[in-house]
Amino acid sequence: MVAYVVRRLLLAVLTVWAISVLSFIIIHLPPGDYVTSYIASMSASGSAVSEGEATALREQLGLDKPITIQYVKWMGLMLQGNFGMAMEWGRPVSDVIGDRLSLTMVISVAAILFTWALALPIGIYSAVYRYSFLDYVFTFVGFIGLAIPGFLLALIVMYIGFAYFGANVGGLFSPDFAEAPWSMAKAWDLAKHLPIPAIVLGVAGTAQLVRIMRSNLLDELRKPYVMTARARGLPEYRVVMRYPVRVALNPFISTIGYLLPYVVSGSIIVSLVLSLPTVGPLLLKALIAQDMFLAGTIVLLLGVMTVIGTFISDLLLMWVDPRIRLGRQ
Amino acid sequence: MKSMRAVLVLAGVGLAIATGSGGAAAQSATPATPPKIGSTLIGKLEGPEIIRDARAFPKTFNEAPMLAPEVKAGKLPAVDKRLPEPSQLFVVKPLKEIGKYGGNWRRAFTGPADHENGNRINSADKILTFDYTGTKIIPSLARDWKVSDDGKTTTIYLRKGARWSDGKPFTANDFMFWYEDIYLNKNIVPTPFFEFQIDGKDGKMRKIDDYTVAFEFPEPYAFFVYQLAGSTAIGAGLATRGGFQNFGGAYAPAHYLKQFLPKYSSEEAVNKKAKDLGFDSWVSLLKNRYSWALNNELPVMTPWKTVSPINTPTWSMERNPYFWAVDTAGNQLPYIDRITMTLAENTEVANLRAIAGEYDIQERHMHLSKLPVFLENAKKGNYSVHLDPGLNGSDVAIHIGNSYEADPEISRLLKNKDFRHALALGIDRDQLNEAFWLGVGSAGSVAPAPDTIYSPGAEWNKKWGVLDLKQANELLDKVGLSKKDADGYRLRTDGKGRLRLEMVTVGGQFVPYTQVGEMIKQQWKKIGVDVDIKELERNLAFTRDNGNENQMITWANDGSEMLFLFPRHALPVDAAESHMGMAFAKWYSSKGTAGKKPDDPEMLRAFDLFRDAFGMKEDDRIKNGKEIWKIIVEQTWSIGTVGQSPAFMGVRIVKNNMGNVPDRQVNAQHARTPHTSMPITFYFK
Repeated sequence: MVAYVVRRLLLAVLTVWAISVLSFIIIHLPPGDYVTSYIASMSASGSAVSEGEATALREQLGLDKPITIQYVKWMGLMLQGNFGMAMEWGRPVSDVIGDRLSLTMVISVAAILFTWALALPIGIYSAVYRYSFLDYVFTFVGFIGLAIPGFLLALIVMYIGFAYFGANVGGLFSPDFAEAPWSMAKAWDLAKHLPIPAIVLGVAGTAQLVRIMRSNLLDELRKPYVMTARARGLPEYRVVMRYPVRVALNPFISTIGYLLPYVVSGSIIVSLVLSLPTVGPLLLKALIAQDMFLAGTIVLLLGVMTVIGTFISDLLLMWVDPRIRLGRQ
Repeated sequence: MKSMRAVLVLAGVGLAIATGSGGAAAQSATPATPPKIGSTLIGKLEGPEIIRDARAFPKTFNEAPMLAPEVKAGKLPAVDKRLPEPSQLFVVKPLKEIGKYGGNWRRAFTGPADHENGNRINSADKILTFDYTGTKIIPSLARDWKVSDDGKTTTIYLRKGARWSDGKPFTANDFMFWYEDIYLNKNIVPTPFFEFQIDGKDGKMRKIDDYTVAFEFPEPYAFFVYQLAGSTAIGAGLATRGGFQNFGGAYAPAHYLKQFLPKYSSEEAVNKKAKDLGFDSWVSLLKNRYSWALNNELPVMTPWKTVSPINTPTWSMERNPYFWAVDTAGNQLPYIDRITMTLAENTEVANLRAIAGEYDIQERHMHLSKLPVFLENAKKGNYSVHLDPGLNGSDVAIHIGNSYEADPEISRLLKNKDFRHALALGIDRDQLNEAFWLGVGSAGSVAPAPDTIYSPGAEWNKKWGVLDLKQANELLDKVGLSKKDADGYRLRTDGKGRLRLEMVTVGGQFVPYTQVGEMIKQQWKKIGVDVDIKELERNLAFTRDNGNENQMITWANDGSEMLFLFPRHALPVDAAESHMGMAFAKWYSSKGTAGKKPDDPEMLRAFDLFRDAFGMKEDDRIKNGKEIWKIIVEQTWSIGTVGQSPAFMGVRIVKNNMGNVPDRQVNAQHARTPHTSMPITFYFK
């Protein structure tokens, strides 16, 4: 057991290192560098960077050095717990990400809770009362949810909010509260803004989970042990909840590996459309600006989260499912 | 209908993200608009005036109620102690009336790269500036200036008694500190500023007395006064250049910044300070501390100072209690207490919020293509729409890759003036103007607006800038492209089939370049020229420019009306950005040591005229400027389409309760729009 965990850990470290190399290379693949992108973005907004300034910037940011040296420098910094400077932001990368991390997690967790709170009961209901009227309704709505891209839904929700409710368009706070220190009123303001992004982000996931839950549970319900339980006169509620649901939950748990990176990045496109100050748009902008330290750190962070998430879901699966636990020993 | 359009605007957001071409959908969705819809929205150019006669200056002074409690509590000196000496004030006669104090100006910004958004409002700390017409140089931070007869020395006079935003005196020492400790330190500024050199030779800064500073050059450099007034590394002010993080600005708060320099402690001490704050070196820390947008502790000379920095979801500012300007009634400016910019992660959201009336004055990030939607919601949102046409000749200039070489046949054609003229004559600019500029632009060549100083005359705006299919076809036949294929397209002369040109466009910009390109493709069909429109990501397009790989690229020629301040969109002379021949730009800026010498003698002549102008007196320089524009139009190194339009930051949404806002303002880079309209005089009615 311990050996297994240690092996997994070592593998995880190696994976993370490989991710760091890969992400660094990927960020360097597009033509040009941060300074080219800076000049282009200044030109697009009617301002100018002179040739001397460009040379100076390249020199100061170390962009004139070969990629291997830049990587070694980045690695060296990271081993000291320093993730480098976010070029566009003029601040340490850790500060820039840190600012957005907590809000991102609030939104993502809200979205996940929304998804689970809706998907689990509906999935169970749909499986137990298969081909009932409500099952068809849920299936129908679910497929629509699956089919509509998140950003389109965000646009429609935003438009309805703007046209009929006069709501602030996008964002997480009203302008009055954005700057205010944390208070009950501000928390309430956030709570009021939270449902739209949570629902938009959650809907597609909900539909997917409903389908997964339904089919898994259907598989289980057909099995002889369920029939045996029924035959022995167990109440229907216990028959369903005690074993089949537990088994059907496995896929949920194995997706925790993917949930963790999602929690820290949020959805990029939906966040951009809804103008949410999360890590997703930050990553997109960093990639466009070729801000390699910022983009590299976020990609690395996502990689690490995936590795940790997978590790945790492995452990959880062992805990939830005795078959895996026993099989391993 | 209304809701339909709004949905389409929204759909633009999705498409902008899905395809990377912002505003494209909304553009094509704008239904049949009555022509010239915008011409009624272009008002009279107007703006505030400054009073220079000290006898007319106010004698008593008032301050904003916001500051009164602090003064009462003794935390802040009285207003007359905070202002410069009465004879040294910056006195403004507001556009319409004396304003009222207070209010919070709400705006949109798009993140830390959008520092120009605030810089341009807060540009009063430029050493010199332009008046509201954008043509005349007037004092700003400096009270006056003088250029020596030989043109080698430019002297500026500072305002006695002016103070930094923390109350410390602002003197010539702050200039010398910048020059000696920042500019001459190679760790901080590795390459000298082009503006601070004449013909590659460095200028010097010298302190005459506490309130007088001289810029001295080894050769005549009469143009330097324009560098001080323009949007340049030396003249754009501490705030703007700090925003750019390039250590420009010609002065800096010595008393505050010394703590970050090794000279005043030790390299270890400043490096440790940087490490403790998470920065990799003291230069990085200094860069951060030098930016007013990032650092709310930086003492500034601007009307507003940052409260919540640009790297947070709200970039907010409040008034600088020591700002050195008053109105004619003696009220210390600015009128508006606070500015709050809220983050819009994409410009579509900013446009939608503007439509909802959530911004008080917003000209940046507003799309011309949304004009009908803006107008429909104007009443509901309680705002009015103003259009401020630009001064540059072409919002979509087709810059020819004059140093493109990959395909010898195409390279040969692009270098042929007749071929370029044929392409220029094959464009129906009126159709483009109606379709994409709602009829408010001016069709023609790349030459700037006729009332700008270097304009060679209105006839040059039309030269090689009209539709003439007959002449175009004749010219194409003349250059040897007379054979056509079955579809009517001209064949290459080297027998490799149809001539296919490639035009690079960039998506997601102020102007829908790709859609304009597609329309030009249809128009060129009539002269038998086939062109592929290739939309590229901006960075890739610019990188290809640098490698001389673009045959043609569409980009605005904004800023080119001030030819000598911002030549890069008119002539290939700047190696930082050149769309019409990077190899030539490198050759010019390196004085022939790098790049490639142009083979076009007219380009060499334009280079000579350009180089010589910097040392010349005003009249001669204007002559050179006009001559250069004639060459540019005649040679057609860039093909003009439609310009002098509000597409580029010229769609201004103004809430109806805002006062002293001009009907029309000059919309130009050197004017730092909206700076020349003096946002310090705007107020809430």
